[in-house]
Amino acid sequence: MNSYYAATLAVYAAVDIIACIALNLQFGVSGIVNFSFIVFQSIGAYTAAVLSMPPDTANGAYQVYIGGFQLPFPIPWIGGAIAGGLLAIPVGLVVLRKLRSDYQAISLLVLSVIANSVIMNARTFLNGAAGIAQVPGPFSDQVDPLSQTYQLLYVGLTIPCVLLVWLVASRIVNSPFGRSLRAMREHEVAATAIGKNPVQLKMTIFIVGGVIAGLSGAILVGYIAVWAPSEWLYPETIILFAAVIVGGRGNNVGAMLGALLVPVGFFEVTRLIPATIGGWVPPPNLIPAMEWVAIGLLIIGFLWFRPEGVRPEPRRVFGGAPVPEDLVSAGSS
Amino acid sequence: MELYVAALGFGLISVSVIAIAAVGFTMQFGITNMINLAYGEVMIVCAYVAFYVNRAGVNVWAAMIAAALAGAVLSFLLNRFLYAPFQRKGTNLIGMVIISLAASLILANILLPIVGYDTSSYQVDQGPLLRWNGLVLTTAQIAIIVVAVLLMLAIHGLLRYTRLGKAMRATAANPILARNCGIPTQRVIDMVWLLTGALCGVAGVVAGMNSENFAVASGAAYLITIIAAAVLGGAGQPYGAMIGALIIGIVTELSAAAIAPEYKEVVAFTILVLVMVLRPQGLLAKRGALAAAG
Amino acid sequence: MPAALNPSLLVAEDVHRHFEGMHAVDGVSIEVPTGKITGLIGPNGAGKSTFLAVLAGTLPASEGTIVYDGQDITRMPAYARARRGLVRTFQLPSEFARLTVLENLLVAAPKNRGDSLWGALRGKGYWMVDEQPLIDQARGLLKRFGMTAKESDYAGTMSGGQKRLIEIMRALMLKPRVLLLDEPMSGVHPSIVEEIHHYLQELRREGLTILMVEHELHLVERLCDSVVVMAQGKVIGSGTMATLRQQKEIVDAYLVG
Repeated sequence: MNSYYAATLAVYAAVDIIACIALNLQFGVSGIVNFSFIVFQSIGAYTAAVLSMPPDTANGAYQVYIGGFQLPFPIPWIGGAIAGGLLAIPVGLVVLRKLRSDYQAISLLVLSVIANSVIMNARTFLNGAAGIAQVPGPFSDQVDPLSQTYQLLYVGLTIPCVLLVWLVASRIVNSPFGRSLRAMREHEVAATAIGKNPVQLKMTIFIVGGVIAGLSGAILVGYIAVWAPSEWLYPETIILFAAVIVGGRGNNVGAMLGALLVPVGFFEVTRLIPATIGGWVPPPNLIPAMEWVAIGLLIIGFLWFRPEGVRPEPRRVFGGAPVPEDLVSAGSS
Repeated sequence: MELYVAALGFGLISVSVIAIAAVGFTMQFGITNMINLAYGEVMIVCAYVAFYVNRAGVNVWAAMIAAALAGAVLSFLLNRFLYAPFQRKGTNLIGMVIISLAASLILANILLPIVGYDTSSYQVDQGPLLRWNGLVLTTAQIAIIVVAVLLMLAIHGLLRYTRLGKAMRATAANPILARNCGIPTQRVIDMVWLLTGALCGVAGVVAGMNSENFAVASGAAYLITIIAAAVLGGAGQPYGAMIGALIIGIVTELSAAAIAPEYKEVVAFTILVLVMVLRPQGLLAKRGALAAAG
Repeated sequence: MPAALNPSLLVAEDVHRHFEGMHAVDGVSIEVPTGKITGLIGPNGAGKSTFLAVLAGTLPASEGTIVYDGQDITRMPAYARARRGLVRTFQLPSEFARLTVLENLLVAAPKNRGDSLWGALRGKGYWMVDEQPLIDQARGLLKRFGMTAKESDYAGTMSGGQKRLIEIMRALMLKPRVLLLDEPMSGVHPSIVEEIHHYLQELRREGLTILMVEHELHLVERLCDSVVVMAQGKVIGSGTMATLRQQKEIVDAYLVG
């Protein structure tokens, strides 16, 4: 494994970990089934792209997009995060206020499909189906993006983001605020009856998740330098759901583990599948299609056999709690 | 003006296609409380069943019957071996939606290596053109409308006048009460999946006929239009889905003429958003569409 | 404050609740006596639970006015009513299953610096000053109801009676002024019924106003200062149990079945 490959893997892993932590805050902790999660990652990517790129007339206008501000790092990344949060406001106001949870889920799924189709068809906006290419990464004007140094630099920029997101998520999850979110997830009507405003709670975590998702998109686009509608079809969201379900809903460590097991793991496994198996050449579509089948089966299998995931949500025992009875009797006998 | 009259013609066919699909979808939700996101993919599977039958030289209308059978069997199995066990286990609404989306992903990707990424189309004898006040439709298109009208009448008759239909309505209103009143709810639910599955199969074929060609990727677009029609009419309401189909079908085709055809789904989506904001329970909803959130 | 100048904390005027053409609550007007325990009785389907839900804001009133503490709260959302001290419990178990018993109580505390996004982000050092007294308060309640040993168990694993206790304790964490209890004793072990009974009397002594739906008439008779009888969405009588037993139509409608 060469260092380019290691860096690629590290950046993808970081992006998936950040995304899974955000989805875990929304879905695992708060019970919001954000089936348009990938749209939030995507708006972060597009925003970061147009903030860092030159105007579209610069390279003979072979691609068309709005903006092109050539702003230096870290503005594109911050901009991507803000865009994700801003998008969460109107979407949340329409979807999260009055609808039942399964309605919320299908509305967000519909949004994801429609948003993709709009961007694909509106070429003058973000270059349509072809997508945006040649997105300059952070400091790519100062360090050759193809050099080994740059790969290390990018990983170096990414890791603090993971740590920051991790800190934010764990503070939320372990706080009284996180407790209110979990209570809402468990029984919304009862949470309302003890004075929690569910709309406010949902909007807050939807925006926080949107910000983090936007950041993950900004990080990814700076590295892969392209962003197109084919990158963010709605099944991409399902992979992240699979990751959070496998890792353990409501558990940040679980979300991280899920990110490493599912998206990153699948990426790696595909690479290991030989082009021919005993002289038989599988058709080109077969392997990717079977991966998707496996993702679907993984979700169904985990929800059936181990719905709490590999790392279940931790039970919170407070300092000074009495020793559970079963331990007392075990000790005295 | 002529453009809009022609669009109205297309609209009528769209209405027919959407109505067949959306009534099946909404009945699954209304009676079994299952938002089946795999519905669009089941449509595509059935469309391909009919495609292979059609390609073997069978008339497309006869192939439609094969598709209806395939849809009935596939939907029945999907419920029996996937949805029902999870529901019995007490999986919540959110869990069921995720499971049906996973099922949709699995179906699509089992189908893909078999049929490939390319688009397919039926061999349809369109028959002579029929003209009426600027409306131009082929005989085959009229036949689609007739099929839809007959199916809607059949659904109406089923729900209104048959024992099975009454049992379905009772199960939808309160499954536990229905069971206690001696209604074999398990058999009723099996029948619901068989019947709605057949509708889904027919819908897959007429959708394929209407859109000139289809591919595995069409499933998502179908699903969205169906959701829009079902939610617009009030989810779980068969008559609501018919009205929803009427509005979505006409408005999208008129907008396709006025704006651009690729924004059809966007227009459907806009209607959906407006309904969710202004009347989240849908046009005809009486029950269950939304819970008190605050 | 003299009683005459102390109007009822909670007043309902001509409250209706229609749903699917059914009049679950059909013009109910009551003044809940402040500092007393009022029973709400009536046959199944009389609209008692629906009325309680309308008072708490869980269901919106179709018509009528609800005044709490001198303020018209008819359009106020449920969570805001709870924060002002008008707190309900539920007929069906409504515990937060995957929160521990102690967390079920803590989450209901109305004031905690850590219960907002910004408070949470500032970390444990910032909000622990609020949290610690709440933990002590919650443990006090758990001790009182004999559930100390269960504090770290998931609420979802508790028995039906224990869940009901959790719900009452959770409501008390809000320091309510008016408590709306929906069959608080159903499914509870007789020894715990006694405990709840004593505790409710103690709360009354402290000045809490309680309106409770209850089916067990002997409990109502022992505990409630006065009783309101509902049938078919309407109030058909009120007073003490003794006076109600004298009214033939009420006895016919409900008291003997």
